[in-house]
Amino acid sequence: MCRSDQRDRPPHGRPWRPSRGWGLRLGIRALALSLAILIAVPPIPAAAVGDPLEPLNRGIFEFNRIVDGLVLKPASQIYEVTVPEPGRRGVTNFLANLRSPVIFVNHLLQGEREQAGVTLGRFMINSTMGIFGLFDFATVVGVEPRRDADFGQTLGVWGVGGGAYLVLPILGPSTFRDAGGIAVDGFIFDPWPYLSDMEAQLARRGAEAVDTRYRFGPLIDDLEAGSLDFYVAARSAFLQNRAARIAKGSLERDESYESIFDDDFDDE
Amino acid sequence: MKAYSMTTSTTSERSTATDRAGWQRRSLLGLALGLATVPLVQPAMANPTAEGFVAEIGEQVVEILRQEDKSDDEKLAALKTLLDSHTDLDLVARLVLGRHWRTASEEERRDYVELFRQILMNTMAERMSDYEGQTFEVVGSAVLNERDTAVQTRINRLRGAPPLRVDWRLRQTGDDFAIIDVIAEGVSLVVSQRNEVGSVIERQGMSGLIETMRERSTNGEAVL
Repeated sequence: MCRSDQRDRPPHGRPWRPSRGWGLRLGIRALALSLAILIAVPPIPAAAVGDPLEPLNRGIFEFNRIVDGLVLKPASQIYEVTVPEPGRRGVTNFLANLRSPVIFVNHLLQGEREQAGVTLGRFMINSTMGIFGLFDFATVVGVEPRRDADFGQTLGVWGVGGGAYLVLPILGPSTFRDAGGIAVDGFIFDPWPYLSDMEAQLARRGAEAVDTRYRFGPLIDDLEAGSLDFYVAARSAFLQNRAARIAKGSLERDESYESIFDDDFDDE
Repeated sequence: MKAYSMTTSTTSERSTATDRAGWQRRSLLGLALGLATVPLVQPAMANPTAEGFVAEIGEQVVEILRQEDKSDDEKLAALKTLLDSHTDLDLVARLVLGRHWRTASEEERRDYVELFRQILMNTMAERMSDYEGQTFEVVGSAVLNERDTAVQTRINRLRGAPPLRVDWRLRQTGDDFAIIDVIAEGVSLVVSQRNEVGSVIERQGMSGLIETMRERSTNGEAVL
């Protein structure tokens, strides 16, 4: 936000700045594309999510691991060494605050009025007293912790199945539904591309990649270290976590899960 | 997925559900799509004894992590002993192997269970040691069937990070409970392990599984 304000007033005029119309046209195209994907892929019940694209997905997964090893992991390590902890926390807070509008819209679309209020309140407090979101002042004054929401999840809440599992280059584990959701969140719901130039957006995405790798790195490394087949471990963890986020607090578990525990091997 | 409510939080959940219903009536989009659903809160019986069992383990974990005179290795060893004594590892190992258990030979079963125990205890103990300095609370419980109870816990993380939800599935035998699954942020240990084990067996057979597990367990030892 503060960054985009600065970028909006370049001292001697930046070469190219996308107009509002540009962002909107791109957004509409992205929506059309994601809807086309959603319609083209028949929804599969959550319990039976398969992986028909496994060979392709494994290829992209390996590609991502190489990119991670060459770029993201070293970048996050350099980041960890060079930027002191309060600075890194500020970056995490700032980026989380920038995501608030998208989260707010999705809370509303999911009918989570109360949670939308929390998100809006946090955004207002942190953008002002938290100095452009660098400090999580909302937590200090006792506002509930932030809860993420995205359009893939919203579609899930509306009853749209995930479709096939899909590993996206760089972005990682997803489904056809969630990939469409990423496009809608990024090109339509997110206000910042309408308000700032391409450079600022690229800087933001780059910072997000490093911040995410830095925060989830240990978790990902743990998952790999404890797994027999890292690809399957990542797929299983992603799909289960998504299902839980869509089911929310209801803690619903499908029959196939319950049936695992019916088997008590009495025939031994 | 079957709903089970966590009794301690039902009152607030119910009022939220009412708010939500009102919101959805007003929401044109919700009406137009006709898809939005409010998860109905089903009354489920709480199990205070099971909650106490989990709270007790949680306190012991916190206690172990707090000991400043112990080295990290000693703490991990203590965590492993604690978890081992409260988990029905033989059952978890069999549940993870699923239908392949019936076709495995005696020797394969013995090797598999032993390796499974090593890997799982290492992984769980290390995961728990990451929780150092964070607080842990039991949120509620629900009786799932005549044998199993789920206990919901929350790990309050540091510096405003969103809390983690961890559910424990317990099996009751007489007066005693044993952990048979851990579900962190919706990710069930048993389901994840079943998926992995199933995939390895499909591609490399039972002997391939045991070989992969052996490699994994020795890697784990090297790390410690």
